[in-house]
Amino acid sequence: MEKRGRILAVLLIMALGFCAVALRLVYLQVVERSELTARAERQQERLVKLEPKRGTIFDRMVRELAVSLDVDSVFGIPADIDNPRTLAQQLSRILKENPAALEQRLSSDKRFAWISRKVEPSQARKIKELGSRDIGLLVESKRFYPKKALAGQVLGFTNMDNKGLEGVELSYDAVLSGMSGWVLAEKDAMGRTVFPGGPGFQYKLPKPGKDIILTIDEVLQHIAEKELDKALAEFHAAGGVCIVMAPRTGELLALTVRSGTSGRPSFNPNTPQQYKPAEWRNRAVTDVFEPGSIFKPFLAAAALEEHAVHPMERIDCSAGSIQVADRVIKDAHHNGVLTFTDVIADSSNVGTIKVATRLGKQRFYKYITAFGFGKKTGLDMPGEISGLVKDYRLWSGVSIGSIAIGQEIGVTPIQMAAAYSALANGGTLMKPYIVSEIVDRDGKEGEKYAPQPVGRAVSEDTVKKLTKILQRVVAHGTGQKAAPAGYTAAGKTGTAQKIDQKTGLYSKEDYVSSFVGFAPANAPALVILVMIDSPVGIVWGGSVAAPVFKAIAEQGLAYLQVPPDNVGGRMLLVAR
Amino acid sequence: MSTRVDNIGFLPFEQGKHGSARRTLFVGLIILCLLLYVGGKVNIVRLGYQIEALEREKRELERANRSLRIEASSLSSPARIEELAVKRMGMVRPPKENIVVVKRKGSRGSSDAQTPDAR
Repeated sequence: MEKRGRILAVLLIMALGFCAVALRLVYLQVVERSELTARAERQQERLVKLEPKRGTIFDRMVRELAVSLDVDSVFGIPADIDNPRTLAQQLSRILKENPAALEQRLSSDKRFAWISRKVEPSQARKIKELGSRDIGLLVESKRFYPKKALAGQVLGFTNMDNKGLEGVELSYDAVLSGMSGWVLAEKDAMGRTVFPGGPGFQYKLPKPGKDIILTIDEVLQHIAEKELDKALAEFHAAGGVCIVMAPRTGELLALTVRSGTSGRPSFNPNTPQQYKPAEWRNRAVTDVFEPGSIFKPFLAAAALEEHAVHPMERIDCSAGSIQVADRVIKDAHHNGVLTFTDVIADSSNVGTIKVATRLGKQRFYKYITAFGFGKKTGLDMPGEISGLVKDYRLWSGVSIGSIAIGQEIGVTPIQMAAAYSALANGGTLMKPYIVSEIVDRDGKEGEKYAPQPVGRAVSEDTVKKLTKILQRVVAHGTGQKAAPAGYTAAGKTGTAQKIDQKTGLYSKEDYVSSFVGFAPANAPALVILVMIDSPVGIVWGGSVAAPVFKAIAEQGLAYLQVPPDNVGGRMLLVAR
Repeated sequence: MSTRVDNIGFLPFEQGKHGSARRTLFVGLIILCLLLYVGGKVNIVRLGYQIEALEREKRELERANRSLRIEASSLSSPARIEELAVKRMGMVRPPKENIVVVKRKGSRGSSDAQTPDAR
């Protein structure tokens, strides 16, 4: 009996034990089912965001100018970190960051926090060697510009999340950035991914951004930057712009902008945080300037087109000054009686104003707008402005004289380069553009941009006459220092007074020196604009900007293998 | 030798010496199937790890390849090449008087000028 009682007691205890286990199972499987399932999914599954690869930016010869690199970013799980101070000190030695700031990032109850993003490979290796379970590395994409400062303002830059902030990176951000994807992966206790591609594996592949091929040529860009920098250093100038265009198509082959360069390296998009906004701004499209004498060829074009003047007509400039309404405008040098060709070649204000008065403001305004001044060129760069051109009905009495010599009008360097391109292109204005092709990595056909004529500004006959006048500027006039060795060239110098911000009057010390022209004169391959802001000492465009034109034209035409057309007898004829 | 057939569950099993052997064989088969199933699963997991490791290796190699290409691109920048040509190799730009233009007979001088598009 006693034995039977013991057996019953043991059975009872066992039964109670099983009941307890069964109840616990019911509790876990039924009552807490949803919460535990969710917790298991959180622990075992990992939703990995897949960043799309940002498209590459190439130059016209498909050389890389902006690429995306895979780099490591350091993250932490602050909620699990027991001693944030010690960890912060270890990390600060590797990352060279303030330990207090790191400790602040590590001291929270968050499950995820960035510690340092896009670190150097050597730093990532040291972080791995630390072996901490509370910090880890994630691969991210970082924008890198292998040619460093080359075409910095054209390319622009991106922020930490690879979003375009300036230049082509901004204007083509939607094209370059692509679409992000994700993958729901199962992980084991060690955090390793299990069953990639197995059953229940859910994913959406990222769509990479498209590549962009620019019209810019990195060699021409380098030549333009090098020669502009030399001039800026020589004349201690505050800044400058240089544009090289293909006149027949409107393609921009080089575009360089320098601001506040005295002792400062040029803008490098790899380290945008080291520069002020003024240094990365593309002043070729965002800023207006009074062009000065480089505007005179457009008055000449209008007057020749309207038969208001003949190139060989003699104009009396001997007075040295001219009264226009309530203003007296003087010549820089004393001239006698000049042909109209020499009026432009010697940059006589008096002769130019006399012809402008004869032409009349309505007809002059018609050609100003026909050359594209006063409206945006439509160049695919951010921040372009339309310039300042008043309707002729709002012109004052002095306006026709001032505008004829490039005052009282605001133009952007890109408008000026495009207008000279029209002169080099038989009178047809082309829309300037900087992206020639968008390439789809999926193998689909990309998008190609063709040259786009805007309209005819003047006839071919007028252009021929004007080209001869502008050739004389380079051969015998104010632009002699622009003559490239071995090539003919046509162009115009400009020395524009800047407005003194304090007095509101034209400054007698601050100038914009410029030269715009094309070469070879009769079959132009390149249009080159050079503008130098506030040179010190010598200020004449013919002395400051013209030599830059010469250097760029000589090297650029040789690079493009354009045969010299002015070599003075040293020519060797060979049979085919 | 008498043979009796009983139903155990839904499967008929023979009693006696042969019946016992068959039962053992059946249980053995089930265990083998289970072992094969588990073994297969373990193998899938192992292959999964291998695939991931190989994928990682592939990614690393692609990354290294890309870095090398970008380094090459960086080293071939015109500014660096010009500096090397001038400073290290002592190259100079030829003066105008040393340039001889070779022209084909019948060509029309500057009308042959190439635009960047014609290159």
